[in-house]
Amino acid sequence: MTIELNFGVILSEILLLLVGCFIFLFDRFFKNKGYAFWLTLLSLLIASGVLLISPFGGFTLSYQNDFFSIVFKFIVLFGAFLVVILSKNYLTYHSQLNYGEYYGFLILSLIGAFLMLSSMDLITMYLSMELMSFPVYLLIALNFAQQRKSLEGSFKYFLAGAMGSVFLLLGMGLVYSATGSLFFMQIAQSLFGKAELTYVLLGFLFILAGFSVKMSFVPFHMWAPDAYESAPLPITSFIASIIKFVVIACLIKLLMVAFIPLKAKIGQILIPVVLLTILIGNVLAIKQDHLIRMLAFSSIAHAGYAGLGLITGDLIGYSFTIFYLWVYLIMTIGMFSIAVFLANYQKDLLYIPKLSGLSQISPGLSFLTLIFMFALAGIPPTAGFMGKFYLFIGLVKSGYIWVAILAVLFSVIGAYPYLRVLKFIYMEKTEETFSYRWEPGVWFPVSITAFLTLLIGIYPKPWVDMVYRTLYLYLTFLFYPY
Amino acid sequence: MEFLQNNLLSVILWLPLLGALPIFLLGKRFEYTAKCIALFTMLIDFGLSVLLLFSFDFQNPGFQFVEKRLWIDSLNSYYFLGVDGISILFIPLTTLTTLLCITISWDSIKEKVREFYLALLFTNIAIVGTLCALDLLLFYVFWEAMLIPMYLIIGIWGGPRRIYSTLKFFLYTFFGSVFMLIAIIYLFLKFGTFDYTKLLGVPLGGLTEKLLFLGFALAFAIKIPMWPVHTWLPDAHTEAPTAGSVILAGILIKLGAYGFLRFGLPMFPHAAQEFAPLLLLLSVIAIIYGGLACLAQDDLKRLIAYSSVSHMGFVTLGIFAFNPIAMKGAILQMINHGIVTGALFMCVGIVYDRTHSRAISYYGGLASVMPVYATFFMIFTLASIGLPGTNGFIGEFLILLGTFFTNKLLVVFAALGLIIGAGYMLWLYQRVFFERVNPNIEGLAPLRVNEFLSLLPMLVLVFLIGLYPKLFLDYMTTSIEHLLNNLRF
Repeated sequence: MTIELNFGVILSEILLLLVGCFIFLFDRFFKNKGYAFWLTLLSLLIASGVLLISPFGGFTLSYQNDFFSIVFKFIVLFGAFLVVILSKNYLTYHSQLNYGEYYGFLILSLIGAFLMLSSMDLITMYLSMELMSFPVYLLIALNFAQQRKSLEGSFKYFLAGAMGSVFLLLGMGLVYSATGSLFFMQIAQSLFGKAELTYVLLGFLFILAGFSVKMSFVPFHMWAPDAYESAPLPITSFIASIIKFVVIACLIKLLMVAFIPLKAKIGQILIPVVLLTILIGNVLAIKQDHLIRMLAFSSIAHAGYAGLGLITGDLIGYSFTIFYLWVYLIMTIGMFSIAVFLANYQKDLLYIPKLSGLSQISPGLSFLTLIFMFALAGIPPTAGFMGKFYLFIGLVKSGYIWVAILAVLFSVIGAYPYLRVLKFIYMEKTEETFSYRWEPGVWFPVSITAFLTLLIGIYPKPWVDMVYRTLYLYLTFLFYPY
Repeated sequence: MEFLQNNLLSVILWLPLLGALPIFLLGKRFEYTAKCIALFTMLIDFGLSVLLLFSFDFQNPGFQFVEKRLWIDSLNSYYFLGVDGISILFIPLTTLTTLLCITISWDSIKEKVREFYLALLFTNIAIVGTLCALDLLLFYVFWEAMLIPMYLIIGIWGGPRRIYSTLKFFLYTFFGSVFMLIAIIYLFLKFGTFDYTKLLGVPLGGLTEKLLFLGFALAFAIKIPMWPVHTWLPDAHTEAPTAGSVILAGILIKLGAYGFLRFGLPMFPHAAQEFAPLLLLLSVIAIIYGGLACLAQDDLKRLIAYSSVSHMGFVTLGIFAFNPIAMKGAILQMINHGIVTGALFMCVGIVYDRTHSRAISYYGGLASVMPVYATFFMIFTLASIGLPGTNGFIGEFLILLGTFFTNKLLVVFAALGLIIGAGYMLWLYQRVFFERVNPNIEGLAPLRVNEFLSLLPMLVLVFLIGLYPKLFLDYMTTSIEHLLNNLRF
């Protein structure tokens, strides 16, 4: 076995790492912190260019650049790009946060996400997940200057994450003792044709529990509302969309590549978990008065919906899960951009009853909120409907009609919190008014996500095909390389 | 011109979007322009839908003006539009109703004017889309999308309890349609297509067919609404603004009955026949219950809303009698109800704009204050009762006649509903228009031009259908025979 050291494949990570280090080392020399924003934005653009030309292949056995990682890294980059633009705007209005390190941490977390998508063994996956999470804990705590609660949120998230890591390590240990390896391909080989799987299954369940913390699956969801509420808003959207996307994508990778014989079994086990996640997320969202807490619970429920695709344990279900996460990423970043806009002008606008009469003040913003709210509720012709529709198709196809019926019923409950937000925005009146400016830092992410929400809702085909082909080609090249 | 001929349905469907675009882009100062654009758009749209009526081929039982383009190929789903004798009449009815909603709301909507007309135009798109869609996925998308503008219309411009009503309306109908979604997905996975024309002949049967039928039927029954899932209707109709009530009563609730005719019966014939006795019973209960509920109301709009429950009971009675005459009557009755109840809601809206009261006891002696208005109201009242010479008579008569062949006992009870109907409508008329002039309403302004013009087309249609129903019945004949022949295989 030769170990390749092909620096070409890992170039985008190296680039981001250099930029991150530069920010951490030389931040003191810049009076105006605007440089960090432009540098980050530029490095993201260059990184996407590098990704485009970077060759397939491995960097040692632990890292691999392939269809899976490149396509999903692009999605992550797209999300991060919007988050960075949003951050610039947010930091202008919340100057206590205006450190260069903010962007540095964001880049570090992004490197973690990249490495995780490319990882080919459990240790790398674990380490890169920590690399992705730790900067986020710090970013939440960074908000301490303006919100005392943020320490609590950060600490809760950290403790939950630490607990998840413990589970993950325990699971990895069990898998190692059962299969004798931590590399995905070798695990797959040793499981091939093996009859006795109990030990491995136990190990994988612990790994799943570790992942569940990040995915905010019930019963590991309780950190979400506090962390979401106390984080700087762009970071919240980062946690809700990108981290969830990466973690679930990696879970799918594990199931598709390493633990193939467990797919069906894990699907069965996930049924109650996923249904409970949807139900609890939706029910708890009903009574929330804080917009971000409401979105946090809705984010729990949406993670549950995405999990519906894992139940069936086939490629189609997995691709629908990833499609749903992509749709959710768009909707969430859009909705959080609106939250950033509101928070910029008045902090207490994030309380839903305070949104009363927003449509009198800003009809355009209210209309965009309307699009995102109906998308999150899953009403056509928005992307949210198409995402759910595909997931239900996957379920019914594999004979889980009752799961689909329950999920669809829960989505009726889930519509209420979004309708409630619209109720205040459109149907209540207000005497207050505030003046606002549409700044590119907000309208760019909002308009691009709103456009995509409608576009995918009307014409979802290319996006679903893209995800499916990515997974299909990835597996083909992995198992039958020519 | 050739483009228009080939894509007439698409043009009718999407034209309001073209009108919505400038309204959307115009600033707040251009409210009057926005109104004019909306009116103009709907005038053209209505004109085109009349053109559709004239270019319809009576002898052809299949779908006409068909447009089929690939939409999502991995799902084998098409952008597939077409109309037949069952749906064609509803399209001009929809565009006319929307047009009249624009004229009747000309002065009464004072805030968020642009948004209101946008919502009306989008409702029109969604309803016409639901009526023409022959691909189940496309149908579902339009069916659900309709909720968005209706949620806003009731919730923003409605009465005092509008928020409760609109949430109830939204969640109730959303709840109903999710089962339909699962049924549609099941059909797709079993037969690999969303194409309605292909799904017609597929072999189903047994429990599957029954469950699928129930999945569809719940969505349709809530939309109609049939007893006992009618409870959203009185709230929604009462609290909606005039235009909202007119759209709800005039076309939206017809879509449930249309759904039964288009999907429920032909796709699941055995299950439909099996459940027919139950649905007939529910229809008769709705007729009597709705009528009795009307007698107890002191709210003008609520009374008319409950009368809708009663009238829609006649429609479902006609549908599930499985008889060509009754079915013709049912479709005609849907149109009639759209015209008459729509007009009655407009009438209520006209006085509500002046007095801001819907209580019957608030009025009295209105006939001497607003004589022209009283005449209009009288004619619509009589049409609602079903007086010979008006359209209501033809519809109800055909339904009762047709049902008489299949089930005599039910007709007796249904006819009882007619008498109750005459009772509550005449009593309403007496309390509002005759007796002593209530001091509350002295000196009310007479009908304005826009109000007069909004009521006039309805009046013409009342007598046109009432005196020469053949004009409209001819559209349905072939398609209904075709439908019923397919039911008896």
